Amino acid sequence: MAARKRKAARRRPAGRARSKKAARRSRGARRGWKIAALLVVVSGFAGGFVMGRHLVRLDRVVTERFEGRLFRVPSRVLSAPTILYPGLDWKQIGLRDGLDRLGYRPGGGDPLPVGRYRWGEGTVLLHRRPFEHPTRAEPARYVQIRLEGAEIGGVRDLQSGRELGAFFLEPELVGAYHGPDREQRDLVQLGDLPQHLVDAVIAVEDQRFLDHPGIDVRRILGALWVNVRSGGIRQGGSTLTQQLVKNFFLTPERSYERKIQEALMAILVEARYDKSSILEAYLNEIYLGQRGPTAIHGMGEASRFYFGKQPRHLTLPESALLAGIIQSPNGLAPRRHAEAATARRNLVLRLMQDQGRIEPAERAAAEAEPLRVSSTASEPGEARYFLEALRRQLPDFYGQETLATEGLVIYSTLDLRLQMTAARAVREGLEALEERYPKLASDGAVRVQACLVALRPQTGEVLALVGGRDYGQSQFNRCVQAKRQAGSAFKPFVVAAALEPVPGGPTVTLASRLLDAPLEVSTPGGPWRPTNFDDEYRGEVSVRHALEKSLNVPMARLAQDVGTDRIVSMAQRLGIESALPRVPSLALGVAEVTPLEMARAYATLANGGIRPQIRTFEDVVGSDRRAAERLPIAFERVLDAGTAYLVTSLLEGVVDRGTARGVRSAGITGPVAGKTGTTNEERDAWFVSFTPELVVAVWVGFDRPRSLGIPSSRAAIPLFVRFFEDARGGRARGSFRPPGDVEQRMVDPESGALALVGCPARAPEWFLRGTEPATVCPNWANRREPEARTARRAPGVPEAERDAREPGVFEQFLDEWFGRR
Amino acid sequence: MAAALSWVFGCTALGPAPVRLSEVADDGDARRRASVRLVLEGLDDEASGRVVGAASQYERALQVDASNPWAYLALARHWVEQGEPDRALAFLDQCEAQLDPADSLRVEAHLAGLRGAALRERDPSASQAWLAQAARLAPETWGDGWLDAQELR
Repeated sequence: MAARKRKAARRRPAGRARSKKAARRSRGARRGWKIAALLVVVSGFAGGFVMGRHLVRLDRVVTERFEGRLFRVPSRVLSAPTILYPGLDWKQIGLRDGLDRLGYRPGGGDPLPVGRYRWGEGTVLLHRRPFEHPTRAEPARYVQIRLEGAEIGGVRDLQSGRELGAFFLEPELVGAYHGPDREQRDLVQLGDLPQHLVDAVIAVEDQRFLDHPGIDVRRILGALWVNVRSGGIRQGGSTLTQQLVKNFFLTPERSYERKIQEALMAILVEARYDKSSILEAYLNEIYLGQRGPTAIHGMGEASRFYFGKQPRHLTLPESALLAGIIQSPNGLAPRRHAEAATARRNLVLRLMQDQGRIEPAERAAAEAEPLRVSSTASEPGEARYFLEALRRQLPDFYGQETLATEGLVIYSTLDLRLQMTAARAVREGLEALEERYPKLASDGAVRVQACLVALRPQTGEVLALVGGRDYGQSQFNRCVQAKRQAGSAFKPFVVAAALEPVPGGPTVTLASRLLDAPLEVSTPGGPWRPTNFDDEYRGEVSVRHALEKSLNVPMARLAQDVGTDRIVSMAQRLGIESALPRVPSLALGVAEVTPLEMARAYATLANGGIRPQIRTFEDVVGSDRRAAERLPIAFERVLDAGTAYLVTSLLEGVVDRGTARGVRSAGITGPVAGKTGTTNEERDAWFVSFTPELVVAVWVGFDRPRSLGIPSSRAAIPLFVRFFEDARGGRARGSFRPPGDVEQRMVDPESGALALVGCPARAPEWFLRGTEPATVCPNWANRREPEARTARRAPGVPEAERDAREPGVFEQFLDEWFGRR
Repeated sequence: MAAALSWVFGCTALGPAPVRLSEVADDGDARRRASVRLVLEGLDDEASGRVVGAASQYERALQVDASNPWAYLALARHWVEQGEPDRALAFLDQCEAQLDPADSLRVEAHLAGLRGAALRERDPSASQAWLAQAARLAPETWGDGWLDAQELR
């Protein structure tokens, strides 16, 4: 109707009034249009300005991330490699478990594919993967390991036919230094990835990736249609670029506003960076599963996690599987949902064929392959205390942030099997203690703790370190952080100081007599009166007896003779770094030291007086795969070999006859030396010990010192026994060899004098050459001319005279025989 | 008596032929044998210029058998060559500590020679004396004052 009127008006001649009105209306309309246009322009400018600002801001966000550090890559720590050789006890080293931990899988075929093994009757075929190492990278190697009983009979390289003297298995993952996000990734470059992996990802995630500008309009419309029909957001439509943007910059929230943001940023990313860079970033960023609390990100890490290999060695079905699980890494986790994962993998393969990326035959062959994920799944949690100790030994510039972001690879000294054995010994040992002594567990909230550290004495390499019963509950590393009184475990340092030859000083031997009788020492704090553990006194005892039975009073007397300064100096030279109080009670172990220090000091004794530098790692490799740091083996002679041997001999006696004889009654055989230590009120229990090839320090106690109610022989030794039985089958190898300046003589245990043939009691004892006793046993001497065998102390007696008086064994025999006659 | 014998046989200065590791490769228990083989591989590496790899192999040899004196000897030689005399001397000390008395005489020339080489900067006169002793004990090996990796092999 209105339209008709307007048409008529246009046809009719205009009246004056009407035309005025119309003119006014027309002007108004024009003004309105102008205002509207102005408003549009202004709001357009304003919107454009706001939009522009927003885009500039987004662009800055994008470039800052892409130009800076794209990823935080936690540094990983690897164990020492396992070395197999003929004669090695393969059961004791847990060969089969080791292969499983390394992700090797049983397999068939000849030759076996890389990463597989076949365990047969008396033979293991193994196709070892190649592995990187800063100094000795190893190629893939196909070997036959012959098993003869419990031992490896030989290792043959099946490619060359050569018998190998030694064969390395690759280092195992010990752990990593994560940031708060606990993301683990191993960065890869696009060129290092097989083409079928790239094709598989593009096929299933974004088939037009190479053509679109960051967003795929066709895909978005398709997703929109699905969402409109369903009345909610059911489908994405994100390109790889959008997924990358979402993971890098945005929250997982599903809203149209966030989708728009994502699309804008995707376009910006595509405008600034080429497709290869975007694809590489995506393949390193994408979440692909979970190893306990650690998130697996990127194809490099996923390849290692699922298949135990580097991505460049992935096969087509393996690539298809990795691409397939991107959609739902946990819902399609191959180890838990094999069927769903297989179906998804096959879908990827179908898409690849449909898109012309693989041939039908390739697809068929790949689909026929069963899922073959490696058996390794969990990160060994037992080594976290060790990781902490290692971090402390790294130079300062490897701070926590660097370790959590720089993607270093640290080759450690850890023997992962020994570490697991140690962790088990501590955990189960403490549980057994609590079961046997319920008082230990009476306060449920405060649990008794322990630590165990094992070193290789000659090289100082830390082979196992467990700083507490559960790292998850307490990160306090008792091996390196807890300073506790050493108790009697300190006494060997006193004896070493006493035995060490000092020009002009008194000569003390293992047979020297010490008085075990009440003693009072004046100190600024009042008189100090040491007592024995049983409050009894035994009169005269030998140095050996005093240490083997851990008698305090004679040891305190010896320390008084030696002097605190020499004891402090000796302890420091052997490897104690903590401050040592210069007080008389130092001799009885009031000094607070860490178990690692004690282990090092005992390692020096085990190593014939050569102090090793503690070594937790060998090499650090930077993210550029170049060696960045090396910690070589280092040591220094700090004590003469003879004195070190005498102390070792004493400590063997402690294990054979003394306070640590529980070691023997538990069935441990072979050369073992060690010393128990129990502090006042039984607050700390120590057992520090060594064999020719292993030093083990065990401490048991409460973090806030309180009485354990049991001595070290019941608290610490059982943990050691548990560990040693598993670690070495309860048999210590090798021998403690006396150096050339040490000789053995028979002595009379009662008097400490030489015991010649005819003395009523004779016991062998070790002496530094020239320090043998100057007297013979009283009974024997009584039957001789009294002046014939008078006091003969080595020092102070002229050499010629001493030689003249010193009888040989044959001479002694003749003396005795003729004497009788 | 000994002097007379020496005079008679004219061998006062000469000791037994210095050890070559290939000669002891089959001695000892399984661990020692495996360890010595690793040392031999390290010596081959060193002779081929793979110096870092060689040191690593010697350390692996110690991982197998930490009481293998030959690994310490090889490392001492390695550190002398790398210009780290203090480190070399410590390894010589450790080698001596691990030596079986039966082997001592055959290693004496190497120990003396390497000690002499390690002390060259710090104590030239002592160095000369050690080198002279090594040359006297094993003129073929130490006559030039230098122990080549292959001479130890």
